[in-house]
Amino acid sequence: MNVPLKEAVATSKVLVVGSGGIGCEVLKNLALSGFKDIEIIDLDTIDVSNLNRQFLFRKEHVGKPKAVVARESILSYNPDINIKAYHDSITSQDYGLNFFKRFNIVLNALDNRAARNHVNRMCLAADVPLIESGTSGYSGQVELIKKGVTQCYECQPKPPQKTFPGCTIRNTPSEPVHCIVWAKHLFNQLFGEDDPDQDVSPDTEDPEAKIEGQEHTETESGNIKRASTRQWTQEIKYDPAQLFNKFFKNDIEYLLKMENLWKTRKPPVPLTWEQAASHEGDTAEEENNVKSQDMKVWSLSKCTKIFADTVGVLKEELAGKTFLVWDKDDKPAMDFVTACANIRAHIFTISTKSRFEIKSIAGNIIPAIATANAMIAGLVVLHAFRVLLQDYQKCPSIYLRQKSIHSKFVLAADKQIEQANPKCYVCSPQPFVNVFVNTQTMTVKEFETELLKKSLNMVAPDAILDGKGMVVISSEEGETEVNNDKKLNEIGIVDGSILKCDDFLQNYELTVAINHYEPQEKDDPLYKVVANPDELKAKESINGEKNGSEEKKEEESDEDDLMIVNELEDPQEGSSKRRKLNPPEDKDAEDDDLCVVES
Amino acid sequence: MSENQLSAVETELYDRQIRLWGIESQEKLRAANVLLINIRALGSEIAKNILLSGINSLTILDDGIVTEEEQEKNFLLSKDSKGKKIAEEVLLKAQALNPLVKIKADTDSPASKDPSYFKEFTIIVATCIKTDLLLKIDKVCRANNVKFIFGDVFGTFAYSVSDFQDHEYHEDQVQLAGKKRTHEGAEKTTVKVQGVVNYPELKKVLILPNTKQNADCIKKSKRRNELFFIMLSLIEFRNKKSRNPSLESKENDIKTLQDIKKDIFQLYQVDETKSKLDADIFEIVFGEAIPVCAVLGGVIAQEVIKAVSGKEVPINNVFLFDPITYDGKEETVGV
Repeated sequence: MNVPLKEAVATSKVLVVGSGGIGCEVLKNLALSGFKDIEIIDLDTIDVSNLNRQFLFRKEHVGKPKAVVARESILSYNPDINIKAYHDSITSQDYGLNFFKRFNIVLNALDNRAARNHVNRMCLAADVPLIESGTSGYSGQVELIKKGVTQCYECQPKPPQKTFPGCTIRNTPSEPVHCIVWAKHLFNQLFGEDDPDQDVSPDTEDPEAKIEGQEHTETESGNIKRASTRQWTQEIKYDPAQLFNKFFKNDIEYLLKMENLWKTRKPPVPLTWEQAASHEGDTAEEENNVKSQDMKVWSLSKCTKIFADTVGVLKEELAGKTFLVWDKDDKPAMDFVTACANIRAHIFTISTKSRFEIKSIAGNIIPAIATANAMIAGLVVLHAFRVLLQDYQKCPSIYLRQKSIHSKFVLAADKQIEQANPKCYVCSPQPFVNVFVNTQTMTVKEFETELLKKSLNMVAPDAILDGKGMVVISSEEGETEVNNDKKLNEIGIVDGSILKCDDFLQNYELTVAINHYEPQEKDDPLYKVVANPDELKAKESINGEKNGSEEKKEEESDEDDLMIVNELEDPQEGSSKRRKLNPPEDKDAEDDDLCVVES
Repeated sequence: MSENQLSAVETELYDRQIRLWGIESQEKLRAANVLLINIRALGSEIAKNILLSGINSLTILDDGIVTEEEQEKNFLLSKDSKGKKIAEEVLLKAQALNPLVKIKADTDSPASKDPSYFKEFTIIVATCIKTDLLLKIDKVCRANNVKFIFGDVFGTFAYSVSDFQDHEYHEDQVQLAGKKRTHEGAEKTTVKVQGVVNYPELKKVLILPNTKQNADCIKKSKRRNELFFIMLSLIEFRNKKSRNPSLESKENDIKTLQDIKKDIFQLYQVDETKSKLDADIFEIVFGEAIPVCAVLGGVIAQEVIKAVSGKEVPINNVFLFDPITYDGKEETVGV
């Protein structure tokens, strides 16, 4: 280290957001490199499955706040550092602009897009350089974000998260994941919070199932029963045999009557409780080691037995409560989903999976390893050195890729920093965005929650209807609650309206142009957000980006190291051509049949 | 339950990595006995990562004494470690990283060890040692099917060199079943693909060529990543001086390095005037940048995991970390 760098390091104040996989490594690197003034914030507590990589934590720390334990561990290596720990969410109103302005640099080590977007906006507003990082399995990346110099975290639309059309889940599953999503919905129908979007019975509205010129009639098995599933379940006292026959026999028989669905597909085979329990081909194996419980695919009769057992256990758990919340780490809840997903997969001739595999999908677990985190955290601090010397041009993004036989790159740095997108709805001088909503059916509250908060990532938005100067949404309690249940058009938000939205915490103002829009096809999103008006025509015609679907996958992973890995361009030396380093993992990114949600 | 089967405690602890590399890889890691030679700033990074991965045992061989400077750079040491034997001082914090791994400290000099000592391990990882010892260990490793990897950090420059001999590996490739894309999208299948990487012995990588005998080797090296020659220069410096370049003798050391580099360029018939390297490249090779130790420690530990598990394509055979751009590239040398 040269003298100017040594001084900069010793006198800088650093904020580390997140003390998980990357956070632990970053903290250690900072402490060993001579940083003296560090603050760390994380709202999470320590879990056993963190210990294979979050090396500042040990078994006796399980259940304790990550930020607090990380601080103690670092002080045990080096007691001469000033570290402050916050066990809290960075999106809390306590951490406003003045909080961020105190730092020379902010290092993100986060696990979800919402928090990343928020810190991005705070750092832009406070004009503090931010180093963004993430890993996923063997891959990872590091990126500098500096107002007026580089692009911001939200300049490029992020790859949308995968979701599934409702009718695929309810009527025509073709992959294990469809059965797993269905099984989680079944859990919520029987034990969880009521959510009409998570119906598990046959969907008679499926346009594919309709016969020309014939209006469908609502029947017992179809949509009409939706509201009473829970009630019926309670009436039959959660009798496993009756439940089984309803979901795996009667509903399937009903599906078979929707003949159009099975013209090009293999029809499902209804399964009765008696058949399943005594299914042939099952050997009575009573192994109890981890491998047989977790790694092996359960037999149909075992699934049936576990279905019955877990229904009993969950029923007891539910007693005295309003509802249960599904959790991948709750054994009966996970066992129930494994059993139901596999029974349904059996009925639809879809391959069945082990509990271990189903947990990955149902819990949306992104695998994380120590080595990738160590490499990325090392690069984060190398970039931090250059940032403190204001050598921003020397901080292009760096990508860690899984080594392949076709590529010599393990770490690939871009040739230069990425310029900001002039039409970015976050960092451009006058942020502007088009939204497409059904102004006749969407309520003001839905607009606030789904659009302003979930899609546009505001934390505490205010919105004024332009021209009339009327406050339609307020972050002040009690000011606009009267509007909540009104439809947008009832308070004058119609096609062509302009809303001036403002998030005081993020110091962020956004002009929102309202476009009235009604979904046409069954897979069409409920609403859309389009940042760049030029994209509008192209997007519309190719049926591209969609927002707000019926079926949503978990929006956040449970991991602290999550990133969405973009397709990487390989800056091959000595070649003018840029080619892909590794083929992107198949995530069906090009499959435009899928409904997608921006988190 | 057989000895190699994982317990419930282990599957819970290693859950996230098992989801990435599979249960068989984890079982192979669990059976691996690793020797780590020298546990300094880079060595402690490597130790951390491989202890976390869940190997059977780690032997730490280091005859050094903790200096003040060493203590500040090494997170496995504490303030009162100064003046004591480094291999023993790291034990407490190393063990805390993973109580399931058996850890031993050996304070003998690595050079004093009988060749048979090196036979007993699954893989040997070395840092900060000279070429003669590297070649001695490599010879034992090749005769006994022990994998070998070494690496060093010089300032912000870093490298590793592997000799996994004839290494069989497999990887999972996700393929779409059939070409037909249905309404719901095609079902994906995972295919296990196998391969072999043949590593040259280390002397083919490290011993400077003799122009008459090694015409081939020199021809091949014409389009070499020039950082490879910087690596050879630094190793040669250490061989000659029995130390790393030091800030206390910075000017002299840079001059020595320039001379060595010039000789190496000549041997490999590289036209120095066409070199893309900065003329003052050796300015940045002093000390060990901590974040670079973290990067290389991650790379080497990942290669150890690949070597032991036989899963994923390993680096063949030199890894070079660019001290300016931070690119990290594979360079195949000596084949």
